[in-house]
Amino acid sequence: MKRFSVTVIFLFLLSLFAPQAFAQDVLKFGIPLPLTGTNAKFGEIEKKSYEIAMEEINAKGGIKGKKVVLEFEDSQGKPEVSRSIVERLIDVKKQPVIFGEYSSSSSKAVAAVAEERKVPYMVVTGATDDITQQKYKYVFRMNPTNAYYATGFMSFLKEVVKPKTIAILYESSDFGTSGAEDMVKQAQKVGMKVLVKEQYEKGAVDFKPILSKVKAAKPDVIYMVSYVMDAALLMRQIKELRIDANLYAGGAAGFAIPEFIQNAKEASELVMTATLWSPQVAYTGAKEYAEKYKKLYKDYPSYHGAEAYSALYIIKDVLERAKSLKADDIRAAFKATNMMTAFGPVKFEDKDGYTNQNFMDTLVMQVIKGKHETIWPAKYASTKYVYPIPKWRDRK
Amino acid sequence: MAQLELFLQTLISGFLLGGLYALIALGMALIMGVMRVINLAHGDFMMIAMYIAYWMFTMFGIDPYLSVFIAAPAMFLFGLGIQKYLLTPVMKVESILPHNQVILTVGLAMVFSNLATVFFTGNYRSTPVSYASSAWYLTDYWRNSPIELSLSMPWTISFILAAIITIGLWIFLTKTDTGKSIRATSQDLDAALLMGVNVNRVRMVTFGIGLILVACAGCLFLPIYYLYPALGKQFTNVGFVIAVIGGMGSTDGALIGGLILGIFESMTATYIGMGWAPAGRFAIFVAALVFLPGGVASILRKWRLGK
Repeated sequence: MKRFSVTVIFLFLLSLFAPQAFAQDVLKFGIPLPLTGTNAKFGEIEKKSYEIAMEEINAKGGIKGKKVVLEFEDSQGKPEVSRSIVERLIDVKKQPVIFGEYSSSSSKAVAAVAEERKVPYMVVTGATDDITQQKYKYVFRMNPTNAYYATGFMSFLKEVVKPKTIAILYESSDFGTSGAEDMVKQAQKVGMKVLVKEQYEKGAVDFKPILSKVKAAKPDVIYMVSYVMDAALLMRQIKELRIDANLYAGGAAGFAIPEFIQNAKEASELVMTATLWSPQVAYTGAKEYAEKYKKLYKDYPSYHGAEAYSALYIIKDVLERAKSLKADDIRAAFKATNMMTAFGPVKFEDKDGYTNQNFMDTLVMQVIKGKHETIWPAKYASTKYVYPIPKWRDRK
Repeated sequence: MAQLELFLQTLISGFLLGGLYALIALGMALIMGVMRVINLAHGDFMMIAMYIAYWMFTMFGIDPYLSVFIAAPAMFLFGLGIQKYLLTPVMKVESILPHNQVILTVGLAMVFSNLATVFFTGNYRSTPVSYASSAWYLTDYWRNSPIELSLSMPWTISFILAAIITIGLWIFLTKTDTGKSIRATSQDLDAALLMGVNVNRVRMVTFGIGLILVACAGCLFLPIYYLYPALGKQFTNVGFVIAVIGGMGSTDGALIGGLILGIFESMTATYIGMGWAPAGRFAIFVAALVFLPGGVASILRKWRLGK
């Protein structure tokens, strides 16, 4: 009996040391993500994308010859849970670099911990402006912030459309209101006059009254910030009322997904939308990743997926360039990053009050022949844009 | 001219919307009048009917308008069952609260919308019919018209069908025996009982007919709107507000109330702001309760008596 318990204790001790023994050729990363709760859908997309990147990297020999192992930790979309996960990753597991999380509020919580412990943290999807406005030394962000979301669309307006007036319709939620406010600011910057700015209750049945008002105002551009079904209804009723503007544009969300075309049908034709990423954008690796994802999970990934997928490649690039796994060496490597990913070019800069922020061109998509095509910036376009847009009366 | 065009277009929208609202409210008013029950699951019954029409469209390619003939009988039978096995037993139970059935309908509403989420997921769905954004234009018929007005094809079809269904209901209520018993029960329960009306059967049929009406409304709404499990609440609200404006339980009142609300909402959207539409809806609701407690029905009654 005694012998038996000694064996057990021995085995137990061995099991404690075993992972350490293997750790030599394995790089383990804990990634906080919301895998349950309301944000679970996006957490899931990101998890799948990280896994695709992990397999690709491991198939090509891993990072510095070490196999990458990812461990996903469910933060339930709660900032305090993300915080405790990351504290454990840093204090107990001694992870040299942190990345991940989905929402802005969770990313913000993680950023505070990382800065306090002086461990580099890369924000992957959180888009609230102030995360990289706090002069944090160890926090990097690969995705564009909210305020820069429409830059691509604005440059398209400036260079191609040259509009003088705009009408803005938006849903009466946080998302809709902030999107509309941003557009008002951008419009003032380029000297566009806001003729109509109207909010509507999400789920409204009939938009014709406010659309009639828009029609009477005759704006050059109609800009809408809406979720899926409202977007389709708005365009259908715009077609119905034959409101002829020079440009119909959506602020991402409802306009950027395939469901928009399915529901609005021919009313969606030639509608434009700002977006961060699209499956057919001409970035190297973007199409391959999107197709691989579709093959595995039957659907194209959203931009969140592309961000997560590219995040692991950035980490690989950074760690391979870092002199050691010490925080300051990794930080220096982050600073020197200048690479192309499936999500777009990545370079961390200090500019306009932001620290360690990646500034990139956001894209503009247009529905052409019933498909979303990337049309702007021209160098990443999948096809040439259609402009001017024919009047409704002349369309088939 | 532009102002006139704006006004007329708003009026058209409001009128079309009001017609559909009226159809939802009719069923609610009928149930309210006969059974003295505020059916707070009304919108959720509509949601179920819409799912029936949706699946008919996706699986067999049946046009949502034709699904009326499938969804309406199905909902009628469903209504009989609900009335017989849930509402009637609850009515017999003694309780501190007099409106156990109302509470039951709230429970049903929650069960339905949650079950729909479980079975059909929370995704938004719609039936992308080919005529979804077709319309008739004034300038197509009158080349030199100074103003341009448009009349949406699916909205107009829905409106006309709603009108036909309403007329059908009116004929049923005034010309058939069952219809007359329903009206009798609604006007005076005890008298109806004394006259030999089988009140229990009348209640069951009424609930079934109420659901037929809301099923029709659902099928007519599907081509112009969309569908998701939690959609019921919004339309229960609409139906309830109209029933109050119209005078609780009055079908004539519900009809006029529906048109009033539709036009009122459209006018608010155009001249005040669309964000104000829900606030406007409840303002008119409160105003009706305070200044016209009997609703439109009381005005109708006065007018008839005066003649």
